[in-house]
Amino acid sequence: MDKPTNIRNMSVIAHVDHGKSTLTDSLVSKAGIIAASKIGESRFMDTRDDEKDRGITIKSTAISMYFEIDEGDLPFIKQTTNGNKFLINLIDSPGHLDFSSEVTAALRVTDGALVVVDCIEGVCVQTETVLRQALTERIKPVLVINKVDRALLELQMDKESLYESLLRCVESVNVVISTYHDAALGDVQVYPDRGSVAFSSGLHGWGFTLRQFAKRYAKKFGANEDKMMTKLWGDNFYNPETKKWATSPVDSAGKTLERAFNKYVLDPIYMIFNAVMNTNRDAITVILDKLDIKLSESDLNLVGKPLLKVVMRKFLPAGDSLLEMIVINLPSPATAQRYRVETLYEGPMDDESAVGIQACDPKGPLVVYVSKMVPTSEKGRFYAFGRVFSGTVKSSGSTKVRIQGPNYVPGRKEDLFLANVQRTVLMMGRYVEAIEDCPAGNIIGLVGVDQFLLKSGTITSAETAHNIRVMKFSVAPVLQVAVEVKNPADLPKLVEGLKRLSKSDPALQTWMNDTGQHIVAGAGEMHLEVSMKDLEEEHAGVPLKISQPVVPYRETVRVESSIVALSKSQNKHNRLYVKATPLGEELTDAIEDGKFNIRDEAKIRARALADQYGWDITDARKIWSFGPDMSGANILVDATKGVQYMNEIRDSCSGAFQWATKAGVICEEAMRGVRVNILDVTLHSDAIHRGGGQIMPTMRRATYAACLLANPTLQEPIYLVEIQAPEHAIGRVYNCLHQHRAQIFSDEKRVGTPMFTIKAYLPVAESFGFNAQLRFQTAGQAFPQCVFDHWQIVDGSPLERGSKLEALVTKIRIQKGLKPEIPPLETYLDKL
Amino acid sequence: MFYVIGLGLSDEKDITLRGLEAIKGSTRVYLEAYTSILMIDKERLEGFYGKQVILADRDMVETQSDEILRSADTEDVSLLVVGDPFGATTHTDIILRARALRIPTRVIHNASIMNAAGACGLQLYNFGQTVSLVFFTDTWRPDSFYDRVQENVGLGMHTLLLLDIKVKEQSEENMARGRKIYEPPRYMSIPTAVEQLLSTEAVRGAGILAPTDTLAIALSRVGGGAEERIVAGTLQELLAAPPEVFGAPLHSLVLVGKRVHHLEVEYAETFALDPANWRRVATEVYGCALDG
Repeated sequence: MDKPTNIRNMSVIAHVDHGKSTLTDSLVSKAGIIAASKIGESRFMDTRDDEKDRGITIKSTAISMYFEIDEGDLPFIKQTTNGNKFLINLIDSPGHLDFSSEVTAALRVTDGALVVVDCIEGVCVQTETVLRQALTERIKPVLVINKVDRALLELQMDKESLYESLLRCVESVNVVISTYHDAALGDVQVYPDRGSVAFSSGLHGWGFTLRQFAKRYAKKFGANEDKMMTKLWGDNFYNPETKKWATSPVDSAGKTLERAFNKYVLDPIYMIFNAVMNTNRDAITVILDKLDIKLSESDLNLVGKPLLKVVMRKFLPAGDSLLEMIVINLPSPATAQRYRVETLYEGPMDDESAVGIQACDPKGPLVVYVSKMVPTSEKGRFYAFGRVFSGTVKSSGSTKVRIQGPNYVPGRKEDLFLANVQRTVLMMGRYVEAIEDCPAGNIIGLVGVDQFLLKSGTITSAETAHNIRVMKFSVAPVLQVAVEVKNPADLPKLVEGLKRLSKSDPALQTWMNDTGQHIVAGAGEMHLEVSMKDLEEEHAGVPLKISQPVVPYRETVRVESSIVALSKSQNKHNRLYVKATPLGEELTDAIEDGKFNIRDEAKIRARALADQYGWDITDARKIWSFGPDMSGANILVDATKGVQYMNEIRDSCSGAFQWATKAGVICEEAMRGVRVNILDVTLHSDAIHRGGGQIMPTMRRATYAACLLANPTLQEPIYLVEIQAPEHAIGRVYNCLHQHRAQIFSDEKRVGTPMFTIKAYLPVAESFGFNAQLRFQTAGQAFPQCVFDHWQIVDGSPLERGSKLEALVTKIRIQKGLKPEIPPLETYLDKL
Repeated sequence: MFYVIGLGLSDEKDITLRGLEAIKGSTRVYLEAYTSILMIDKERLEGFYGKQVILADRDMVETQSDEILRSADTEDVSLLVVGDPFGATTHTDIILRARALRIPTRVIHNASIMNAAGACGLQLYNFGQTVSLVFFTDTWRPDSFYDRVQENVGLGMHTLLLLDIKVKEQSEENMARGRKIYEPPRYMSIPTAVEQLLSTEAVRGAGILAPTDTLAIALSRVGGGAEERIVAGTLQELLAAPPEVFGAPLHSLVLVGKRVHHLEVEYAETFALDPANWRRVATEVYGCALDG
């Protein structure tokens, strides 16, 4: 733990049900924490009862383990190491799309990712989503192709088609990786022949990389291991007669040669499978002898799958090969922080904190990033879970550390607390272990700082330290429910419970709306369902009434305001002239992807806006604000020319802009993709008559008027839904999608399997009960996965009497306790 | 008839006879109470006038003027304004509205800090532009007043600084949520004002507000009899003086211009925290030839 070169921090990521948690068991068992015989059954990392019940992971769980690598393998590690003992900090994360935020939080604190892919289902939507996320965080992947046993037992694939199907898996992962080329990270594609791809059966507890086989054969062929590995993959064929390697399956004599991978890797496995499954005792004995596998008496008496499991596990123990792959191929914190510092740290690259992070220096200033909160056994308290990037965090240190929330700005006092770290702990699956101190490069739980942090933050000892960049989540909270207590006396418990719930889940949002309702927003039905259960049983502990899910909309404009909107301040001494125009979908997305924000260097941002989005450079330099929450995809621009006192009303305008964009004019939904230009102003010369009290309401009214004049409309959230179903169920899947206004855009048969993958855009508003209906109509054969994809403009105009959109707007307004009609333009527009 | 009536500076007795007559004849009487405050409460006014007085806050005057002006064309309605209707505050808008509604209007004047500032001994003829000094926040530090002061300084004029008051102001959050919850009233004190002046000077750096070389006079409750306080000194001295020296709010501050007359200096010397230093600065920095 004191040697950053010998630490590997890694997350296990995959699509739901591709076998992450089961595979993780193999790794954990290697570390001696659970018995080998329980592999595939215990799901050690699933710490919650509902996780075990549903058979899916909901919360990510961390564990630290020791691994000693063969001294002989040390030369293969292409980075500095120090001895052959390694500490592996592993985080198992959920595969269900609704819980992707947990993956984000896990990725942030790790440097490498073990990507698990089901060899039959291949790369699925969640694999892609999290892999992309890993790469943007500069996290290096290695691949495990899991459930190979299914190909043999269920699909009875022959060797060549299994090879092809494995090859396809590797290639499709590399396709995703290659779209994210990052010079600092180098080539991070995965190659079986370089040992960065493993093949396994998590359920049976076996797995291997080509390195294991290369070791076996290296001597026989008189080649070194690395060379041997390259021969065991791809178009390499060995001709036993000429004792030569060939690259074509047909030799000069016209004889067919067998692919080396099939012959040397798959053959022994197929032999074992055949012998065991056909209960051919003699053949079993021969193979066991040949492979030098010794079984105990009792194991030998097993038959069928249990025997297969025992034999395969002896032959190719998954834990060893995977841990070996991890240690050899994934970067240590010392290696990774050198190139991650640029994407992690917001401050200048030459201040003491940046230097400490870059060097992973245990003696540097303390920099810890807390990526999530983990509930402790004590109700209402949390471990702050995070990564030490620089310095050493000490238990019960008498020195106070600086706790910087996401809104902290260096040099200011907002969102900054000083406190002691009471204790530091290692997270061990279901258990925690107290430790004295923890140096840079490790993953850690901190006790005593939870009350200062909302969800995440930076902890540091350096006064000059900037924040570690906030995490960008791939899921959006696009479904909302309102929560009420059944018994009014329980209200305080609900409020407290909501606070805790929000703290324990990075992607969940809770707030109180204007009518006093408590709203909880999550990524999808499952996410909300699990959260509500937690709230009712854990955090609040009182009976609750939960409303039907409601979909949030966004308000936007289609064209530039038809006339300049004028609003006068209450005292009539100040006038604002404003126009609204659409930002454009591309720029809107770019802002939401975090490519532009208010903290950017203004000149660089202006240049980028001018070059990439055709902005006028003077306008681009005078961006006042993003909103809502200073970060949303709406921009306020000071487009005035030579007007006095503008900088003195900037704050008020910007404040009003936050307010207006948070609750737009149509139905008080957040605005999106709108640029508001202040074209001209007349102001009272004396500051007292143009303070916030005068300017803020005026700016808000002006923004509303400008929007009403710019053909306003709503955007609704759309899910990308991916459905896997067998051929004969396709018709019913299509049916079900059509009933829910879905737009199907891709429909592919997975080669070598009877399964089809259908992709469609499904309005979130139509998604309630979609899962249940689909499963019912297809008798449980189709499995949908929904992830928020984009916002789509709703046709029509809310200002047109009797239109469908007007009806929708009226419904939303009534729900919110607003007047049913959109206020007329005159409410916001003043005349000269 | 719509009357806008100045109440003067101090208490109920400062009203003019003409004003009192107008009130007595009015069906409704409003008291505007946000741009300035009277030193007494509403009940004393009501007792003195024998009339009910409706408090009209900023919100009411600015957004519900129709209610105030209702039926003013057929009967008399009075809007009472602390100080003078056209003094430091601005009530032109409601008069314009009344005119638009063809309601006859009449303004009844009274004393205002704009003329009562003469109490400190500086001649009203020598004053330049009046400016307001608003409460700075972490992010909002409007300093355009500095340009006005600089213009006055350039001409050697005195500057009257009116200090911010916050009565019935909403916090930004409450305003954004449309809640009419108001912050407790706040009045800017002299030390705060001087501090803001000096911090602006540090930013702008034109050298017009040197702490030890700039003479200033603090005013409180002018015309308020025993409660009146006038304190003179350099900015440095005013900054260091204990707050109670300056009396109760409202406060105003006068910056002495370079064309100061020796009589002005001598009159204000009575109020000086340190008379010797007052004379010294006036002689050495302001170049004033003082007697004896």
